[in-house]
Amino acid sequence: MPVPQQLGRGDRMGRGPYEKSGLLVDTSLPPRRTVTQNWEIRFPVEETENEDGETVRKYSTDQLELDIQLWYQPYGTPDDDAVLWRQEKRTVKVDTSGL
Amino acid sequence: MIQRLFRLAGGTVLVLAWVAPPAAAAPPKGAPPPGKARTIAELAARYDSSSCVECHQEAHEQWERSAHSRPIFGTGRTAATFKTAVMNGLLKWEHSGVKSQKDVRVEHLQGCTKCHLPQLVEAADGVAQEILSTIDAWQAAAEEGDEAATDKAAKTLKSLNINCLVCHNRNAIIHKWTDGSPQPGTVYGGSAEGEHPDPKFPRVAKSPVMGESILCGQCHGLGPNLELHNPTQCATGYGSYLFAYIPDGGDKTCQQCHMRDSGLGHDMQSFRSEVMAKAALDMHVEARAYVWRDNQTFRPMATVKVELHNKAGHGLPDG
Repeated sequence: MPVPQQLGRGDRMGRGPYEKSGLLVDTSLPPRRTVTQNWEIRFPVEETENEDGETVRKYSTDQLELDIQLWYQPYGTPDDDAVLWRQEKRTVKVDTSGL
Repeated sequence: MIQRLFRLAGGTVLVLAWVAPPAAAAPPKGAPPPGKARTIAELAARYDSSSCVECHQEAHEQWERSAHSRPIFGTGRTAATFKTAVMNGLLKWEHSGVKSQKDVRVEHLQGCTKCHLPQLVEAADGVAQEILSTIDAWQAAAEEGDEAATDKAAKTLKSLNINCLVCHNRNAIIHKWTDGSPQPGTVYGGSAEGEHPDPKFPRVAKSPVMGESILCGQCHGLGPNLELHNPTQCATGYGSYLFAYIPDGGDKTCQQCHMRDSGLGHDMQSFRSEVMAKAALDMHVEARAYVWRDNQTFRPMATVKVELHNKAGHGLPDG
């Protein structure tokens, strides 16, 4: 989102329109451009230590249900004014045998 | 008294006499300047566009659903921000001249009303104070759970709006030295010229900018409003349109996307509209799983790649 500068000076963000003048940073999506974001998500794992002091990992699932949501947050927070723009679900699976 | 005699044919004499008016008495202290609306009701009446509804029913119904029909009230948050601007801004700024709400003048609200109610400049300072006291009444009634009083105050605030006459008259001409000023009794559109079947607005004329983005740009934001004594900044959409969308090859107008392509007409919407949200961007998701190896440790991982392509004529989000 465009992060407005407080009274056009310094490094502090302004909040109300009455104190916003200028921008500090702008992370909004530029018009006519494609922005790509990548996420790396670890499968949930339970780690324990065996009698020999070795770490033993146990994966409770070999499958993840991914819920990808794109929200428009006009005030930069997930409040009542935020609107869900897109939602897609993906299921990914991996072979955890022997891990 | 000054007399002049004019001899007319046949020897008749026409006597024209006129008397110099007495020196104008100074207006009483606190009286609004002549020609200014003195109350919210007077200002609303001055911009009464109810006679448009009979013939432009569909546009009116569309407009009623838009934020233009309640620019002071908004969802309630806008009204609250007017108060915040006074409480956290004007009252705290050493040089604002505002020590209490009674000191607030039209000029003080321009940071908001330049766009949220541009016609406020045609009102006396008392109207600025009345707006704030009505917001106070609305907030107090809402806190007390007095539904009738809440609705009454909200209705008063909603009587001030960006209606037909703001876009199709007041703001329809931008370059006044080039094109002249908007004329009373005239509605400005995109092409038609001539008579207009409304006794209040008997003429229709062409606005040179009715279909141009600059019409919307008057309010929808280049950035800081540097012409004000204390600049404010609300929307930045038009700045993004001019300096990012156009340089990148964009060629649509605000009206094309928000009115025509959307099918919303005068119900100009933004992020809350499903139609606009759908048109604004494409999202493409790729996801897969793999096993990451860190020396002898194997860790199952998911990788998710999300591509967002902004199809709007400005940054998303705007602000």
